[in-house]
Amino acid sequence: MNNQQGSFFSDTIVMTKRSIITILRNPLIFIPNLAISMFFLFVYEAGLSGIANLPAFEGANYLAFILPVSIVSAAIGGAGGAGQALVKDLDNGFFSRLLLTPSSRLAIVLGPIIAGMLQLVIQAGLIICVGFFLGLEVAGGALGVVVVLLLTLGWGLAFAGYSVGVALRAKNAQSAQAGTFIFFPLIFLSTTFVPYELIDAAWLKVAASINPVTYLFEAMRAVLIDGFTDTWPIVLGFLVIIGLCAITITFSAVSAKKAVSTD
Amino acid sequence: MNGAIHVNNVVKTFKGDVQAVRGVSFDVAEGEFFAFLGPNGAGKSTTVQLLTTLLKPTSGTMEVAGYDVNKDPEKVRLSIGVALQETGIDPDLKGRELLEFQARLFGFSKKQAKERAAELLELVGLTEDADRMSGKYSGGMRRRLDLAMTLVHKPKILFLDEPTTGLDPTNRKAIWKEIKRLNKEEGTTIFLTTQYLEEADQLADRISIINKGQIVATGTPEELKRTLGLDAVVLQFDEEDDAIKAYEAVSSPDYQTERLKNDVTILAENGTSILADVIRKLDEQNLHPAQLNVKPPSLDDVFIQVTNDKKEGAVHE
Repeated sequence: MNNQQGSFFSDTIVMTKRSIITILRNPLIFIPNLAISMFFLFVYEAGLSGIANLPAFEGANYLAFILPVSIVSAAIGGAGGAGQALVKDLDNGFFSRLLLTPSSRLAIVLGPIIAGMLQLVIQAGLIICVGFFLGLEVAGGALGVVVVLLLTLGWGLAFAGYSVGVALRAKNAQSAQAGTFIFFPLIFLSTTFVPYELIDAAWLKVAASINPVTYLFEAMRAVLIDGFTDTWPIVLGFLVIIGLCAITITFSAVSAKKAVSTD
Repeated sequence: MNGAIHVNNVVKTFKGDVQAVRGVSFDVAEGEFFAFLGPNGAGKSTTVQLLTTLLKPTSGTMEVAGYDVNKDPEKVRLSIGVALQETGIDPDLKGRELLEFQARLFGFSKKQAKERAAELLELVGLTEDADRMSGKYSGGMRRRLDLAMTLVHKPKILFLDEPTTGLDPTNRKAIWKEIKRLNKEEGTTIFLTTQYLEEADQLADRISIINKGQIVATGTPEELKRTLGLDAVVLQFDEEDDAIKAYEAVSSPDYQTERLKNDVTILAENGTSILADVIRKLDEQNLHPAQLNVKPPSLDDVFIQVTNDKKEGAVHE
């Protein structure tokens, strides 16, 4: 009969399609995620926009400054959901069934990772739309929006890769959930609300400079606030995110091989 | 590619020095129906996971369908179908979608996948429910869908880990019928683990019994019963007192005697040869059993005999 392997490419597409169908059939899981990231944008803008008058902001629009935080934090629901989907697969035995197919282990983990990434990109698109509605101005123009979405895509892959890897190690919903708490230091030990120069505590300055998310924020803000006048933060942002993706996706593919071993 | 299995001195030790499989060796010929029996925790499921590439052995070699399991796991996966104890079904997909999905991963084109899915749905009697969410299926339907998924690529070897556990007799029969057909008509090698001894007895060409991670007996059902089983002469009395007296009367160093309430059972290699002796002894005491039966050994007896100290048998499954 057909005893042949599907190609890596087609396997990945088939796996991704299945993950997307599963997400769409559980709207109660992804709709709240969307709502939460919108909520962040609204409250940050409403409560904090006054500080944009400080000189360190150099007249920047606070909405453009805070928008990346809203996008990056949307990952906890969107891309982070990839890990939850994986725990579900482990629980109902479907993951073993996947491991028993000839598909590469990388294609198996890429399915939920890409689906999670897409969810985040869609969320980001909606957040940007709401941003425009609130008066957002993007210095980088349409291309700027594309760059922000590309950075989001990279962040989505990286965070989904991490959450899938953790889920495969933890093998239960509670531990996988606990693993996503890394999200809080990532988001908040950074230039989250004010520029680097305005951060007061020395420890926070150190934390922010080693936190990869800082470079993501800076790259997005460069595009949104200054356009393409200074490309170095943008390039740096992409480099950091590509490195992060390589690490987390490798982590998840390696974890897939060990997932069924009963300890 | 062939449908044979060769296992040589395989050991699997889990973290914390739990030895689930302690040096197991056996061979299964192409087209053979092989049953792997053993009490809970004997190492059956671990062996299945080792053979199907889900676990790596601590030591030892395994060849499945002509491929080394450690070196060529992808090729092994292409040649085998595996139904684990726990069904592997995504409840958010419909039966048909799951089968098409599975077929695509085994290299079928979209069109081929559709055709194969329809064929299999028909085979396991799920055509009418094909477009319902599998999460809404009954236990029996899920089992049938799971079996269909393992058959998508027409595997040469089928691994079935207690495939009928928890099923009602109708569903169980349907599954057995299909497995039997695959073995007889399509020449599929079957590796089955089960706790239903009569089924192994009826279906399997050969049986291995595993206990505490080691194989303790191997042979055809007949061989096992002949070499290990004993005939049972069963005497049933109306009164327990009579049973007690009979138990004392017939006890002899030549054979094993047991009493349970009104029943006295005498185990011997050849039941009919001791019958005269037993009846004479009963007559001397003026005891008259209400019923007297001579039963040939059952696989249950063999099983109990070779896996005797079951309490210590809880290793790791």
